[in-house]
Amino acid sequence: MKNKLFEKYFVFSPYFWLVLFFFIPLAIIFKISISVSEWGMPPYQDIFLFDNGFKINTTFENYVYIFSDYYYIGSFVNSLILALISTFFCLLIGFPLAFYIATSNIRLRNILLVLVVIPFWSSFLLRVYAWKIILQNNGILNVILLNLGIISEPLQLLYNQYAVIMGIVYTYLPLMILPLYGYLNKFDLNLIEASKDLGLNRIKTFFKVILPLSVPGIVAGSLLVFIPVVGEFIIPEMLGGSDRLYYGKILWEEFFVNRNWPGASALAFSGIIILVLPIVIFQILYSRWSQKNEI
Amino acid sequence: MDNNFLVVENISKSFGNNKVLENINLNISKSEFFGLLGSSGSGKTTLLRILGGFEKPDTGRVILDGTDITNLEPFDRPLNYMFQSYALFPHLNVFNNLAFGIKENFTQKEIEINVRDIAELLSIEHLLKRRIKQLSGGEQQRVALGRCLIKKPKLLLLDEPLAALDKKLRSKTQLELTTLQKKLKITFVFVTHDQEEAMSLSDRMAIMKNGLILECSSPEEIYENPKSFYTANFIGIANIIEIYKKGENFYSDDLGINFKLNKELKNIKTNILLRPEKIKIQSINNLKTSSFNSFSGEILEKSYLGSFTRYEIKIKNMIISVLDQNFYSNSNYNFPKGEKVICSWESESIKVLED
Repeated sequence: MKNKLFEKYFVFSPYFWLVLFFFIPLAIIFKISISVSEWGMPPYQDIFLFDNGFKINTTFENYVYIFSDYYYIGSFVNSLILALISTFFCLLIGFPLAFYIATSNIRLRNILLVLVVIPFWSSFLLRVYAWKIILQNNGILNVILLNLGIISEPLQLLYNQYAVIMGIVYTYLPLMILPLYGYLNKFDLNLIEASKDLGLNRIKTFFKVILPLSVPGIVAGSLLVFIPVVGEFIIPEMLGGSDRLYYGKILWEEFFVNRNWPGASALAFSGIIILVLPIVIFQILYSRWSQKNEI
Repeated sequence: MDNNFLVVENISKSFGNNKVLENINLNISKSEFFGLLGSSGSGKTTLLRILGGFEKPDTGRVILDGTDITNLEPFDRPLNYMFQSYALFPHLNVFNNLAFGIKENFTQKEIEINVRDIAELLSIEHLLKRRIKQLSGGEQQRVALGRCLIKKPKLLLLDEPLAALDKKLRSKTQLELTTLQKKLKITFVFVTHDQEEAMSLSDRMAIMKNGLILECSSPEEIYENPKSFYTANFIGIANIIEIYKKGENFYSDDLGINFKLNKELKNIKTNILLRPEKIKIQSINNLKTSSFNSFSGEILEKSYLGSFTRYEIKIKNMIISVLDQNFYSNSNYNFPKGEKVICSWESESIKVLED
């Protein structure tokens, strides 16, 4: 009896975690987002007022405001595009790497896996800062190119969207490689040989056999990169310039610079809904598809 | 018959310091069912993979129907390879697995006709819409076979074609495979570690050991007249006896008896093979021991096998296996354990092993 009870709670523990660390904070954010802002601490009014009898004090002005100003929507679109491009490049670099690791012999495989994970052992901030040193006007890269005579004056490599994409791809690559590796590890190499034996060359074999059978790994890796990149704040802040505004930075400024907590909350809440809804729909469709195809 | 349909010429292959194949030569004729038999590590699978194009040989050539295919990629070779694990595509159903190799060059209608034909040939029409996971082992084997045969290959390579099936299904499939091969007249080359499978399927077979081909001949020839000690032992049950010349006859120290051969020997000392079913076993009361080609011994072990009874008979320093056909249904006819018996054989049943 006691065991059964334990099992029951054990099964529900992920939901418990989800409620405690996702739904409750989300509810708090939503509450703040419909509050009326004011100067003070905290910088918004309570939504339930009791001074002259009970009164609900809410407003949806913040939502109207952020959806009517392209400044906010634009930054969100920028972030989505950034996430798409970064995910694409992570996949482009990560897939061959993961495939190579998964098909190499066990000794080499372990060494390569350690190499993939090693960057996690040092501070993320430090690693992004290192890129600043490499890419800045008198940085290593420019100095080398100048000395080799390839360029006559330093290139502006830093503070633009390309530097941001590079930084994100660099940082998030392991998150793509590891789930892909986990899936490709189980790949039956005889299938590739069978495909070639049946007359398909390498490229056709890739598209007809390797790619369709890797879809679950690709989906897992891509979601793991895409979702956090949409809200990424630090990398655009450190490597990015003023050419493009991103959602994470706007959110930060709204909170800490403008001290507009309700506005920032409305922005955060909208972002989550816009991002979560398509992903949930995608997951449902995908799980149906993979069940049908037994992958 | 044209003996040069598939020619394997001086093929050698090493993986690092490990020599897997050493100077392999084979000539296989058109429509032949050819077996490569060897224990694991004999190099038989590597040889098959070289034929399939999955490994490149260090030296030598492979010539198929007059064309040198040594350096061709698997997808450019007019042959197909059936994998031991079948390697069916799990993301495709049976129809699409069968059609996989012909999708490129055929119209949708032609594909459908071809798939139906091959499915009919292998009696798997009812499975076309199934997914691979929903198939039994025997059904998967048929799909794997059909996926290759639909391409009408000049040569079909089969890696342990029956190993993944259970015993009962295996003998049934064995028969079907031979019938199919004779019907389609496609050259089959297969690899196996199972001597029974090799004997029952092959027109000719090669015995491989440590990257060498020891013998290559028909199953009957290899069983009845093996050349080497290893082959004699590897195929079937073998009594191998060392003899040397002593006067007119030959003498075995282990058995303490004389042998009469109808053949002269090159060496003074040699090994001979005596298959257990060639030995006649009789009650000691019926007969006197002859001075050669017979001995008397004591039955040490006895196992009843239905059509045969296998006896282990001890004589001097050696134990000789004898298979006695159960000709009478009266079980009293069998000799009990511990009984003294006389064993004898014909001179021509003695086979001299060359090495």
